Amino acid sequence: MEEKVITVTSGKGGVGKTTTTANIGSALALLGKKVVVLDGDIGLRNLDIVMGLENRIVYDIVDYVEGRCRLRQALIRDKRAPELYLLPTAQTRDKSAINPGQMVQVCDELRKEFDYIIIDSPAGIEQGFQNALAPADRVLVVTNPEVSSVRDADRVIGLVEAQQKGPVQLIINRLIAARVKKQEMLSTQDIMDVLSTEIIGIVPEDEAILSSSNRGTPVVFNGKSPAAIAYRDIARRLIGEDVPLVQPQPTSWWQKLFGRTE
Amino acid sequence: MSASASSELQHLKAMNFFERLFGRRSSAQTAKQRLQLVLVHDRAEIPPGVLALIKDDIIAVISRRVNIDREHVVVNVTHEDKMSKLLVDIPLLRNADGQAAGRARGEAQRPNRRTTSPSS
Repeated sequence: MEEKVITVTSGKGGVGKTTTTANIGSALALLGKKVVVLDGDIGLRNLDIVMGLENRIVYDIVDYVEGRCRLRQALIRDKRAPELYLLPTAQTRDKSAINPGQMVQVCDELRKEFDYIIIDSPAGIEQGFQNALAPADRVLVVTNPEVSSVRDADRVIGLVEAQQKGPVQLIINRLIAARVKKQEMLSTQDIMDVLSTEIIGIVPEDEAILSSSNRGTPVVFNGKSPAAIAYRDIARRLIGEDVPLVQPQPTSWWQKLFGRTE
Repeated sequence: MSASASSELQHLKAMNFFERLFGRRSSAQTAKQRLQLVLVHDRAEIPPGVLALIKDDIIAVISRRVNIDREHVVVNVTHEDKMSKLLVDIPLLRNADGQAAGRARGEAQRPNRRTTSPSS
């Protein structure tokens, strides 16, 4: 089966699932794919604001599931890429508004039209997570180089494998190379040793991320910031290109001196 | 048989050596080590406290039949190749007749009265 539905999850909150979903979805769209990013966090809508599309929501996925609109009406077109859409979630409902079966049904509908459906899973391992996992062909687990998120990632990887949803791949997010070098932070190798899961990308800590969410413009749309490069590489790996993993290196003094601030 | 348990021990000894050499161990190393230990328990779904209870139970059962060194019983969970194992190490005490004591598992020196560990 073609791996169209990609679920981005983590267990722990705040590790960068939404940022990752927005950037990978946008990067795939910039590679010419027809992409929809789907917010899986009912009641805590956020993918819309990170993508800068919050003012354009009329209908959401719950409206569609409950028959108040057609799927096409709920999809918001992002004009910054040729074929990029957001399927927002409901802000005033809770996780029980949709069940895993309905999620599979919605994704089956989207599969007919899109090359990729990227689902931003909520934190936790409850129903919202189960909803996001149910239609997945491929699962990306986001972790930070930090004990609590690595532990939660292990738990989530176990749950995903128990449901035979695969393949599972790891994104190490917010790695600070200088601190790894000083052995103040878990390295990529440490995390690989602990989780024994394939790594599909290493995203360095990057100031550009905060300003990009301030503006509602995912970093992959403009720029050569380290995180943008890392996200574009992940997108290329997802479409099957052979892009070698690059270990982030500490920024040198001259990079700091001439580095741009955003 | 206790390869993983003993390698874990050697790992700890090595860390102590480096600690002595360079002062404090790095926080990243500590993080990795703590994660590896906690994940073994998470994956096996046996909290460390339950392991202590299992240990008490095993000591009670085994010591009904054989004389064991209660102080040095080790009960550990290890995780290899996505398989969790319970490793139990029970030293036997010297008998009243003066026969050399072995260990309850592994190459016990009293094969006629050897108990086996759940992991073997």
